[in-house]
Amino acid sequence: MASVKLKKIDKAAYVFMFPAIIIVLLFIIYPSVWAFVVSFKEGSIIAFGRKGVIAAGHWVGLKNYLELCTDTLFLKSLLNTLYFSLIFIPLTMFASLWLAIVLNKNIIIKSFLKSIFFMPYVVSIVSTCLIFLLLFSSETGFINGVLSYLNIKGPKWLSDSTYAMPVVAFMSSWRRVGYFMLLYIAALQSIPEDLYEAAAIDGTNSFQNFRFITWPMLKKINFIIFILLLVNCFNIFQEIYVMTGGGPGDSTVTVSYLIYNEAFTYFRIGKAAAMSYVLFFIIIIISVVQSKFVKE
Amino acid sequence: MPKKLKTFLLNAFVIFITILFLIPIYWLIISSFKTGSEVTAVPVTLFPQKFTLDNFYYVWKFLKFDLTFLNTILVCVPVTFLIVVFSTMAGYALAKKDFPGKNLVMTLLIATMVIPATVLLLPLFFIINSFGMYDSLLGLVIPFSVTVFGIFFMKQYISDIPDDLIKAASIDGANEFQIFTKIVMPLSKPGIMTLAIIEFVNNWNSFTMPLVLINSPDKYTLPLKLTQLVQSQESLNWAQIMAANLLTVIPVIIIFLILQKYIIKGVMAGAVKG
Repeated sequence: MASVKLKKIDKAAYVFMFPAIIIVLLFIIYPSVWAFVVSFKEGSIIAFGRKGVIAAGHWVGLKNYLELCTDTLFLKSLLNTLYFSLIFIPLTMFASLWLAIVLNKNIIIKSFLKSIFFMPYVVSIVSTCLIFLLLFSSETGFINGVLSYLNIKGPKWLSDSTYAMPVVAFMSSWRRVGYFMLLYIAALQSIPEDLYEAAAIDGTNSFQNFRFITWPMLKKINFIIFILLLVNCFNIFQEIYVMTGGGPGDSTVTVSYLIYNEAFTYFRIGKAAAMSYVLFFIIIIISVVQSKFVKE
Repeated sequence: MPKKLKTFLLNAFVIFITILFLIPIYWLIISSFKTGSEVTAVPVTLFPQKFTLDNFYYVWKFLKFDLTFLNTILVCVPVTFLIVVFSTMAGYALAKKDFPGKNLVMTLLIATMVIPATVLLLPLFFIINSFGMYDSLLGLVIPFSVTVFGIFFMKQYISDIPDDLIKAASIDGANEFQIFTKIVMPLSKPGIMTLAIIEFVNNWNSFTMPLVLINSPDKYTLPLKLTQLVQSQESLNWAQIMAANLLTVIPVIIIFLILQKYIIKGVMAGAVKG
């Protein structure tokens, strides 16, 4: 009797899973396999459009991958992405942790402040880009306007190859800091209160509390946030497309932007697919290394 | 330093940081009420000298912004609805049922979470094209009607529903469909709300996929339209662009302000459990 009932329930499970599985297979798994296969091929965009992934183009083995090793623009895009992440990741982690610690204390209107800092996260990247284009406009922008009140002549920001990427990184940080702040607040609240009570008996100061209790307890969330931010870095595309177009002088060409250009501007399908898989492997390697490091 | 003074200084510093933090939002709002000449005038004005609504009128009347709004809603509403329904169904099956192949499904879903969006961009263009959904709003709905985040989010939520309730219902003779619609869905209402808000906002803000999948300006969604305004040769001034931008941002800000409780709870719940 019981087993009959169980079987009936099993069938229903498949019905419930069906739409999700179909969509995931067709529009996530299949595309990933598609890109992997195409990264070993060469062919025109029309051929891939008409014949499907197996018949179109011809096999070139590892050629696409090997070419990337000597592709100066690709290497530059990796360096640019690194430059971006060196500003973006520490800035976002520091700012969001600081906000979390402060807003976790007894501070006035703290739930209101939480909402304020989270708000930019619901504003689209495109909208944010437009605001920052205006703020950092070199002649008439708000930033240089304020600087000129102080008799400082501001740089040309987005038209200057030194400052363009930092501006993009700063903007990305501004938009995301509230999200990571919430993740940190959740982590802080899950630290058992008696740890601090015990420390208070030992007469520790607030710096020691942070150094020996809070920071070690945040190890796991730090790792998660680091990986999330890293994935963010490798997906930086819209910011570049809207704000700089990769310029000035290729100084803001990120990996994602280059992949988009290879695919949809130059129609080098195989090469774009190979690039996207290199990016994929880099993310996997970094997260494996980081997780080993954290476990020790 | 006395404790009261310390607290006061900390509060003052936090308020100061908050004000700096809000500058971009402030600039967005006041720029859209400035005249075209004032918005790029030197020196910059911190408040509009001549307050005008012309920018909004112009954007709405001459740039087909009404059509763009309609397109965006025509994408966001169905896609959010489908994500919620499909994710709740799948989340229910994964949380409350045992079936052969469940481990395989779980592994597959977890594996997809490490795939960067950039990898999918190029193949999705070809695949969606081969389904005949290129340059159609349907192509922004069907392929994105399930998110792995949504499935796991609902699975978490539904796991908290007591098994006894479901058992009791099935003993009372409720069939699977009734259990799902009369018990699972009502009990996971806050979770459904949170997921719906998050996915609606995500799709409202979505840019990269529409950029790749939509060609005709008549089918543009809001972010696509905004970039076109900046990059096109139509000589728009920054006040008009900011007005268009503000119109795009206002709906999500309103949704956020009214329903922020759900969003913030959703983000924090995901953090603790995940």
